[in-house]
Amino acid sequence: MKGGGKLALCVAIAFLGSAGAYAEQQKVGAPPEASNMRLVGTNDLQARSAYQPTIHHQGDRWIAYIGHHGGTDEIPDPVNPMSGKPEPNGTSIVDVTDPAHPQYLRHIPGQEGKYESGGAQMVRVCDGKDLPKGDRSAVYMLRTFGSEAHEIWNVADPANPALIARIGGLKDTHKSWWECDTGVAFLVSGAPDWRTRRMTQVYDLSDPAHPVKIRDFGLPGQEPGSTGAVPTELHGPISTGSSGNRVYFGYGTNKGGFLQIVDREKLLNGPKQPIAENLRYPEISRMPLSALNGAHTTFPMPGMPIAEFSHDKDGKTRDIVMIVDEAILNECGEARQMVWFADVTTETRPMMISSYTVPEASGSFCERGGRFGSHSSSESMAPVYYKKIAFIAFFNAGVRALDIRDPYHPREVGYFIPSITPATDKRCVTIEGKDRCKVAIQTNNVETDERGYIYAVDRANTGLHILELTGEARAVAGLP
Amino acid sequence: MRAWLVIAIAALVLGVLSGVAAYETSTPRETWQEIAWPFPRDGWPAGRAFRCNAVACGGDIEVYIRPKLGFCNCTTGVADDDEVDRVADVDLISTQFVPLQAGKAVLVADMPGRMRTYDLKIGDGVPHGAIGIAVSHRCDLLVAAAQGRGDAAVVQRAALELLASAETARWVKFAMNTQ
Repeated sequence: MKGGGKLALCVAIAFLGSAGAYAEQQKVGAPPEASNMRLVGTNDLQARSAYQPTIHHQGDRWIAYIGHHGGTDEIPDPVNPMSGKPEPNGTSIVDVTDPAHPQYLRHIPGQEGKYESGGAQMVRVCDGKDLPKGDRSAVYMLRTFGSEAHEIWNVADPANPALIARIGGLKDTHKSWWECDTGVAFLVSGAPDWRTRRMTQVYDLSDPAHPVKIRDFGLPGQEPGSTGAVPTELHGPISTGSSGNRVYFGYGTNKGGFLQIVDREKLLNGPKQPIAENLRYPEISRMPLSALNGAHTTFPMPGMPIAEFSHDKDGKTRDIVMIVDEAILNECGEARQMVWFADVTTETRPMMISSYTVPEASGSFCERGGRFGSHSSSESMAPVYYKKIAFIAFFNAGVRALDIRDPYHPREVGYFIPSITPATDKRCVTIEGKDRCKVAIQTNNVETDERGYIYAVDRANTGLHILELTGEARAVAGLP
Repeated sequence: MRAWLVIAIAALVLGVLSGVAAYETSTPRETWQEIAWPFPRDGWPAGRAFRCNAVACGGDIEVYIRPKLGFCNCTTGVADDDEVDRVADVDLISTQFVPLQAGKAVLVADMPGRMRTYDLKIGDGVPHGAIGIAVSHRCDLLVAAAQGRGDAAVVQRAALELLASAETARWVKFAMNTQ
């Protein structure tokens, strides 16, 4: 080929390459991308950046409680169309009884502040009739209030919630866990005198109107008065309650993470003074991840029967923990954050057994804009999906449905990448001192209800997407 | 003749001035020798490491600098001394360090943050001083840790001199995407 021909070929290849990348950019009006998942309904959540959704069956209604990050530089306090007033992002309460037509009921404002510094990101809900000392007619919503407090609201009438208790004076908060049958809450807090932004404050919230502190807990080196290296901060715990007697803590977010397995009874009833020895006492083991990965969600699935091992004389069932990292940086500016499965059957020797990530090339996700990588998993333990299908929020790759019946070989069986809308916020990277921005979906969290509906929420202000499984994925779950 | 004299004096003055300028800009390079990043791979890409000899800095001093992109509270920046303890890489030198006093505000390459001095425990039994520095731009951190035998104040003075040099500031701005 002569020089001119080579040049023309190079230009053509470059053009096709850039056209291919461009083709992956989302456009307003374009349809969603999906496999074995279908959109049932949406709500724009008043174009507020969304974090944790919790879906609660309340009488004959299904209510979605959705936490929000703070506002954006452009719109710090979006206007609530119901009140006509600007309100700092807080908690959205949406009636999803008819998932095709979700009804926005109420916005409870959160802490003033932008992005991670404001809002009310986390939500858990317990019925008063389940809590040992709760008002049987009440439904209690535990939420964070920005970085400074945890709040408990009575949401029995979800359109008219009432604040009943507040635990304040904190320097940070994050993804807590609340046992509805005992009332024990593992609150991710930043106690002012601790050396870390996020540790655990264990509270007895069996009577939500009168919170009783049980103890502070964290890693040796984080406690007040300690010196030297400070271990990485907590992201969130998940407890298996008094019957399982374990709490699985995920530390680190996108770096140097680890799973910590803790004896719940020793944690609740052991010596409580925050000294290194007492902090070590309830710990059973730790399993470090690579320094390149963090532990955002540590979701336990004890006693999973493994078909491949069914004829083995030992080890037919395994205790599994699914660990999900959180991607932090836009446009693949860090090591890949993904999903890991650990076999913790021998608790003192937990072992990583498998992993999952969305193939980047399947959507040129590093070029789409925003974050690409995992953020969180569904945390519902309702039978409809528990130990069968896990749903992973994967930022610009949307929601991914994994067949986890054999956690040694997790397999994607469906996905849904919502369409962007005019409300979808841009995501920027800095190149030579200047911002270069793109607009892409940023599915931040996903949760399911007992009916099998899947609720995905968007960090980039696109709102709530209610989904259902179809085809093979539906068969994996055993749904009709 | 007089014109020649003026030209000669001007040339001499210019030569002296440029020599001074050259000395000032090249001082870090000559005083500080860049060395290989001495720590194992961790969650952040390696940064740059420098060593200053005893004659130039009053003691053998090493400084380690690196960006940590996406590791900062985007709104508050480096808000307190605990943050410096957590992020400034002093733990790479030794996990056993004790702060000597409350930290101070500092500005590095136009980025605000805090610095703090420490006593280090290292296996050789010799007292070591250290300094941790953390400054931020938007959601990103630049951290520096320095160590040397003896007085932490000497280590601090030397580290700040290195960070204030034009060459280092240029690299920092490049690495932090703030140029």
